[in-house]
Formats: sequence, structure tokens, C-alpha cells
Amino acid sequence: MSTPEKCACGNDDEDGLIERLEEIISSYKETPGALIPVLQATQSLFGYIPQKAILKISEILNEPLSSIFGVITFYSFFSLKPRGKYLIRVCMGTACYVQGANEVLTALQQQLEIKVGETTPDKLFTLDIGRCFGACGLAPIIMVNDDVHQFVKSSAVAKIIKNYRLHEPKTVEVQS
Amino acid sequence: MQITINSNSYEATQGETVLDVAKRNGIYIPTLCYHAKTGQSAKCRACIVQVEGMRGFQTSCNLSARDGMTVQTESKEIIETQKQIVDLMLSQGYHNCLACERSGSCELQDVCYHLGIEKTTYADAPTGRKDESSEFIVIDYDKCISCGRCVTACNNVVVNEVLGFGHRGKHTTIMCDDNILMGDSSCVQCGECVQICPTGALTDKKSRGTGRGNLDKVDTTCPYCGVGCQITLHVDKAKNKVVRVTGREVWPNNGMLCVKGRYGFEFHASPKRLQYPLIRKNGKHERATWDEALDYIVERTKEIVAKHGPDVFSALGSGRITNENNYAIQKFTRAVVKTNNIDHCARTCHAPTVAGLAHAFGSGAATNSINDILESELLFVIGSNMTEAHPVVSYYVKQAVQKGAKMIVCDPRKVDIAHWSDLHVPLSVGTDVPFLNGLINEIIKNGWHDEEFMINNTENPEELKEWVKEYPVEVASKICGVPEETMHKVARMLGEAKKVNVIYCLGITEHTTGTDNVKTIANLQMVLGHIGKKGCGVNPLRGQNNVQGACDMGALPNVFHNYQSCIDERAILKMEKDWGVTGLSRKEGYKLPTMLHKATSGETKILFCVGDNTVQTEPNTAKTIKEIEALEFLVVVDIFPNMTTEYADVILPDVCFNEDDGTYSNLDRRVQFLHKAVNAPGESKPTWWIMQELGKRMGVDLGFHSAEHTWEDMRRTGTIMGGITYERIQHLGLQWPCPTVTHPGTPILHMNGKFTRGLGLFSHTTYRAQAELPDAEYPFILSTGRRLWHYHTGTQTRNSIGLENIFPEELLEISPYDAKIMNVKSGDMVKATSRRGTITLKAWVTDRSPKGVTWCAFHFHEAHANVLTNDAYDNVTETPEYKACAIQIEKVSDGVEVISRGFRQARP
Repeated sequence: MSTPEKCACGNDDEDGLIERLEEIISSYKETPGALIPVLQATQSLFGYIPQKAILKISEILNEPLSSIFGVITFYSFFSLKPRGKYLIRVCMGTACYVQGANEVLTALQQQLEIKVGETTPDKLFTLDIGRCFGACGLAPIIMVNDDVHQFVKSSAVAKIIKNYRLHEPKTVEVQS
Repeated sequence: MQITINSNSYEATQGETVLDVAKRNGIYIPTLCYHAKTGQSAKCRACIVQVEGMRGFQTSCNLSARDGMTVQTESKEIIETQKQIVDLMLSQGYHNCLACERSGSCELQDVCYHLGIEKTTYADAPTGRKDESSEFIVIDYDKCISCGRCVTACNNVVVNEVLGFGHRGKHTTIMCDDNILMGDSSCVQCGECVQICPTGALTDKKSRGTGRGNLDKVDTTCPYCGVGCQITLHVDKAKNKVVRVTGREVWPNNGMLCVKGRYGFEFHASPKRLQYPLIRKNGKHERATWDEALDYIVERTKEIVAKHGPDVFSALGSGRITNENNYAIQKFTRAVVKTNNIDHCARTCHAPTVAGLAHAFGSGAATNSINDILESELLFVIGSNMTEAHPVVSYYVKQAVQKGAKMIVCDPRKVDIAHWSDLHVPLSVGTDVPFLNGLINEIIKNGWHDEEFMINNTENPEELKEWVKEYPVEVASKICGVPEETMHKVARMLGEAKKVNVIYCLGITEHTTGTDNVKTIANLQMVLGHIGKKGCGVNPLRGQNNVQGACDMGALPNVFHNYQSCIDERAILKMEKDWGVTGLSRKEGYKLPTMLHKATSGETKILFCVGDNTVQTEPNTAKTIKEIEALEFLVVVDIFPNMTTEYADVILPDVCFNEDDGTYSNLDRRVQFLHKAVNAPGESKPTWWIMQELGKRMGVDLGFHSAEHTWEDMRRTGTIMGGITYERIQHLGLQWPCPTVTHPGTPILHMNGKFTRGLGLFSHTTYRAQAELPDAEYPFILSTGRRLWHYHTGTQTRNSIGLENIFPEELLEISPYDAKIMNVKSGDMVKATSRRGTITLKAWVTDRSPKGVTWCAFHFHEAHANVLTNDAYDNVTETPEYKACAIQIEKVSDGVEVISRGFRQARP
């Protein structure tokens, strides 16, 4: 794996976060089956699961690296790559699909100039797909972090994106 | 019960699967994911059968046989479906056998052959993905069928926990650690995954292109540590070379090996081997004929012995050579030279075990078998870095833990096995006696001891109860630096478990208190009543392939073979009669260190040294060299030139493990066979031949005409090994005591508490500090040992391909705490100095080392620990204190930082 890039979700200081992660993992040390909650905590702390976090988890929970990696890559919720500040997930469940989710997805790809699974260069948006969010009556829907957008039309995509950009301070720049 | 397969009726037993019954009766059912060691997974679906009254197809690998079952394995429908299944399997990746290492021994190929499949009817999907980063193992992902055998083997058989499955669905793939290259991962390259892979996905890198069907297979015993793994050598007869090694699926190793056993085999064909006798002339070693060399040895020996008496002659056998050769040396020394000055390297490792356990129980060997580990409830591991020094034993220990056994690891260092333990107890170096006595005190105080066993089976239970009163937990805790609370916990775990197995190694014996340490362990197990039962016992891990055997053969100054006392007149007369000689020495001989010390005072003049690199293995090298130089005549018999041959007057070339028949005794007293596989290089000769020739020249026919003759010569006057014949151990070893040819061998000693000596004997042991404590000038403790990748003075491992690439130089392990203070990081060059010498080597900062303790090994003559170690000895056995001396460390220069990855570390 390549060296993880820095996350742009507002927390640059990954070393500081590792210390916080250590505390979290240690609190789970005696709990059986703690791996998934620890990984969830890691993901919300970093926005993704960096390699050094995997090594830390392995060390403190005394869990083989391969089982941790196996769990991370089995569940699509976990990501090994840094994600943008906003995770856009397009529901591709049956109801959304027949209501035009595919067109919405195409529009998002064009608008953001990225493909599914990728993150915009300004680290603001990551595009992903999901299967049925359980809101078929509102199809097609997309989720941006925890916001649900219902009855989305492909023509409305540009406006949704713009709204999120508008709320961003200008200083967010690409960091290397 | 009866089941019917393809219209024939077969006997089946409870617990058997349909596949088991079919296999037993020679009915072939294609299987790929199933393996006896990794168990049922019913993943590949190739083993489907039809069962009357059951819907659809059933996978036979996990289908229990039931009485009256009617099974069909070969119907057209089944064959068609199997073909479809395998066809789909072949469509993933690229399964081309032309240049595949496994062709001929591939289970997928067998299945295709059986079903008549030449290639997939779908398109091949080659990805070209291959991982060749590892030194010894190649992963060809195109040949992987995701059966999961390697993953299960890695995680549940050898329990190294490196391989796993990553991703999901059709993207599922095997991977190492967190999906990094195998060569960068924490893989210890034991090769179990290679051995168990049914296809060519995992193969040995070194044997690529060296032969497939044209190789001879020779079953033999591994020449490294004391586990005595059974191996198969794949030999290219035309080239007179071993090209591959596989593990035999029998006890004691069940097919499992470590990196040295599987991949450290080329040394036998190294061009550096000694091939001809050499005699020192004008300061140089010059080639000589055998006659010249042997005549010269005899002439010098006769001359010196005639002048000074037989006790100026000393001989060293070896834990590395066969039983036969050790017997030959001791018989020559005793019957021809007529001195008991014979010893071997057990002196430097497990002599305290032999002395301590013989004192307490009457027999100085491991009480139980290796497989007993799997039956234990609590494994109490003390002073053993088993994942590196006895890897195959560690696999069983880890398996036992996975199956629910508890484990306590007591070691100042956080050795890797501690990661699998329930409790790691980092006691201070050299404080085993107070620690164990504290535990015994606590156990007795709480009534956790086995009063009945103590009264019925031991001689002096009341005395012991008094003695341990000196070490209440509060006192012991202060000495050994273990919190009282932890000691209470350990005592409770020991006291409450029904089957405690104490496994220890050189951390116990290589101290000035070595014998006391062993005796205290014996006390503990007798207090708990855990002797003479399955899954219990006192089990020292013997270090070398045949260090047990060298003791059994009487390469010791106080006993003939089979521990018959050499100062017991009856035994002496028995030997004199059988050997046809008179005037055997009536007094005990010198122990190894005494032999050497007496060189400087002129009392030892001749040293006949076989398979012992004395200069590099004895403590305080500078002093050893002085002693060796003081000898009048030094003969070295070995397979490679080494630090000791440099000082020899005569060097004789020996054969190695696969060049002659013979036997080794492993750490659970199992006498195992070695088959000759290749011819020895040049004019090398077995030691028994050398001794026979020397004896003949000195007027005694020792009767050694082959390895078997030598063994039979031993057996005639042997006791505990009298019933072990070559014929009986051709395929599987036998555990002594085995006094008669019909005796089945003895897996457990002192059964039901009936000790060899009658009643068990408790000993009074008290704390004595290590001989050299750290002080202001030399503030660090140096402890020494063995690394996974190398063996002893490296003559074998450093002459095999690949091991040196993985671990090319010695490293000084320093704790992060001390490193920070000294501003040293991993990779920096440091100078380690003791009162006896200095070595310069790289630092490795690791939390394996506790504060104040450093560690390095003695494998590399360029920088080896024994330059520093202290020549202080155990008061009973003269075993040196390799585990503790005082050193100072000085940083020499900055280096490139080496980053430790992962926490289970066989290397940085």
C-alpha cells in the first residue's frame, strides 16, 4: 500500500489522531468481538482507515493484520483510501434504478469529473454507490453524508453540489 | 455400520465422513479444498456425491456416514456436474501445467485427469499477478482456486497468522498481512502453505526448474533443532544434490517444518565443505591422505599419553552428529585412551536439565511427548523463545491455545510466543528460583497443592513446605520484579488447572543457578502432582537435533551410554567384558569447561573435537582462544572450516546428516532414523569409521564397520535403548525407555507418579544473583540466544541459499527506553563492550527487550555474543551463564533507520 495521503476533512494532524485512536482501541481491549466497533471508530476519526491505524489495532487488540484487512475489505462501508469531506452515495436499488438513478449517477460523474469510488482533487466529494437505503417511496435518492436528497433528477445534481460548495470556506486547498 | 458406495458395501465407523470411507477403500472422489489438517470446508464443491433419499448433490467431505446410506460417486450426472464445477474453476486465472512446478503432484491436475478435462471451455483469464518478493515462496495468483487451505494452515495449523482472504465476491484473493507483498510481510516462511496448496499457486522458489518426477524421495530426520521433524528429501541423484525438502505427515511434526528445516538444506553440497584430511605444516593446513593423518594422530596421541598419562586426552562429541558417532567417540576415549574425559555441547545448554531432573525424578529427560501439548489445560512456558528456537513446538503450543488451553509465558523479554499467552510475566533476568519458590509457597498456602501425590510419591514433602517459607510472595516479588498481584494470579492459575505442562528452555539452564532452576521446576510440578500424566510434566526443549542422543550415548564424563555410571564397578566390568579391554578409568572425567581450563595449566594436552565449534560457542572467546592455543595437539572433525579448525593440528572431514545412515534422539526421547540420500564430498568419512581406524592403529578393534554395526555394539550393553533396532525405526521413531525388542516405547515417563528413582525428591534451592550484575560502568544486561533464521555458529545456515539474505548480520536488541536515552535508533552501529571483549554491530530497537536488557545471538563470527559472555558457570554442571552478563553500549555511527512493521517480529 502506498503512504496514505493526508485527509482533507479538516483534521490534518493524523499523529494526534493516532493517539486518540490508541485510547479508543485500548478501551475495547478486553471486549470480545471488538474489531468492527473499533474499525467504525477509526473510520469516523480519520474519514477512512489508514495503514498505521491497522498496525495499531493489530498491536493493541492482538489481532492478526490479515483478519483486520479481511474485515475492512469485506464491508463496503470501510474505506482504505482518504475520502472527501462529503461522501455522496447514490442508491442503485431496484426502485431508485427504475426511477433514473443511473442518469443521476452519470450527471454526478460529469459534474464532479470523477468516477465511482474516486474523490475530487479538492478532497471535498467522494462518489460511491449503495444498494437500497430503504426509502423506496422517495426514489431516486442520494445521500450526502447524513443528508437524504429525495426525488433527485439528473438536472438538479449541479445545484445540490453547488450548495455544498457554497458552505465551504475558501481556504480549503489541495494538500499534498 | 455399513454404507453402500457404488453398489458395494463398506464398513464405516462413527464420526467418519463419506469421503473418509471412500478414501480408505481406494475410491477416488475429486477433492480440492479438503485436507486432513485443515478440515472440512465444502468450498470447492468438487467432492459431490449423490445419496439415496437426499435431494440434490452432497459434498462428501462434510457428509457424515450413516448406517444404511447408499452413495453414488460416479454417475453420469455427478461427473457432468463435477466437470462443470472444475471448468468454472479453471476459467478463473490461468491453469497451464507446462512449466508448473506442481505438474505431476498437483491435485487440480489429478482432478482434471480423472474427469478428462484438458482446458476450460470458457476463456482463460490470466492476470499475470505473481508475488515473487519472498525469499523462498512464490505466489502465482493465476493458479489459485481460493480453496482456503493455505489460509487455514497459516492461521490454524502453524498459527503464524499471516495469510488471509481479502475483498469479497469474485475479487476474493489470498493476501499477506494487510495486503502487502509476502516478502515485506511478517511471514516466517515455514512453507506450510506451499506443502498444503493443492495447485501450483504456492510453490518453493529455490527448487524451480530443478526437477519434478525424476527426483528420488528419501525419508529422514531434520538436522537442526531438537524437535526431530520428519522430512522427505527430494534428491537429484545425478547431481548428488537435495533440491527440495517437504515435511512428512507423521509425528512429531505432522508435516510442519520451519524455515531452516524446509529451506536450509544446500549446505551439504557447498563447495566450502571440508573434503580431505588436512595437517598443519609450517603454519599452514596442507592436504594429506587419510593414512598420513590417522598415523600422525596416533603417533602424537601415543607419545603425549605415554609421557603424561591418559587424562591429558580429552574428547568432545556433539549434539549435532548421530548417536552412532557419539557412541564411537566415547567408546574410543574410554576403551582405547582409557580416560573418561569425554563431553559434548549439552554442557553448554541442558546439562542442568540432565542433572536437575535426574536428581529429582531419576531420569534427566523430558517427561512427556510433544503431542501432549495439545492435551494440556495450562501451558507454563518459562525461558523459551520457542517461535524462533523450536518453531514446530510453538505451532503445537499455539494450536493448544486456539483450542482453549491457557498459557503463561515467563520471560524477561517479550518473546513472540507471549503474544499468544494469557499472561506474560517479565521477571528480572536470573530470578527464576525466588519466582518459582514464591509460587510454590502461595500454592501450598492456599491448599492448591496435591497433598496426596506429595505424601505417596515423594520422599520429603514436609521439608519442602519448610523451605519455601523463605519465599513468601512479598519477598519473591521484590527480588524478581513481578508485582505480588501477578504472582497471586499465576499461582492461582497453576493451582486450579488440572493439567499443567511446564515447558522450558535455556532461559532456565544457562545461568550459574541452572541446576537449581531446574530442580525448582521439578519441585513445582511435584507439588502440583502433575508428573506421570498425559498433558502434564516437565518438558525441556532440547536445543540440538541430537543433544538428547549424545547424552544417551554416554558422551558425558560421568556415564557410559544409557546413563550407566562410569564409576560403578559393575558397569565398568560389564563394559570391559563386552568391549574386550581392561583398565578402564575408574574416575569421572573432566567436564568441557574444565578440559579447557586445564589446557592452560598443562593438564589437558590433546583435544579431539568432533562437530563442536568450541571457539565460537564457549563464553569469553578471548579466553577460549588462549586455552585452545595452549593445547599441544588439537584434532577437529567437522564438515566446514570454522573458528576452531583454524587452531587445529589435524582437520578431518566428516559426513553430514544425509550422507550416512544413523539415528538422532529428539527432545521427547524419540530415536529416529536417518537415511543416506547422497554421497559425501571428496574423501569425507563418518566419525565411526575414523574412530575404528584410530582404534585399530592403537591396537583395539572397536567393531565399527557400519553405522548399524556401531548401533548394535551400543545396544548389546545398552539398557533403556536395548530394544531399539534399525529395523523397528525405519519409518517411525521409538521413545526410550525401550528395553526389549518387543517393548512399544515410553511416551510418558514416571507414569502414575512412579518415579524412575522410586520416590520423587524435593530440593532446597535459594536465590543467588547472576555472577556479573550490571553496574555504573557496564550498565546493561546482555542475554543471548538463537534466531529463527540461523543455527548456532551458522556453518549450516550461512552456507544455505537465502537465509543469509533474510538475516545477514547480527543485531543488538535494545529497549526503546534505553535507545531513547542513548539516542540510538534501529540501524545505527553500536559498540557493545563487556569486561572480556568488544563487538560492533547494528542496533535493533524493539520492545521485545525490557529496560536495561539487551540481547544478541552467536551465529555470526563477525560479531558474536560469546566475545562478551561471561565464563561463570553453574556450580553443579559447569554450564556457562550465557543468559546474563554486563555490558556497556556506545553509539558508533548513524545508520539507515530500519522500521519494525507489525508486532510479531522474527526480524525488524
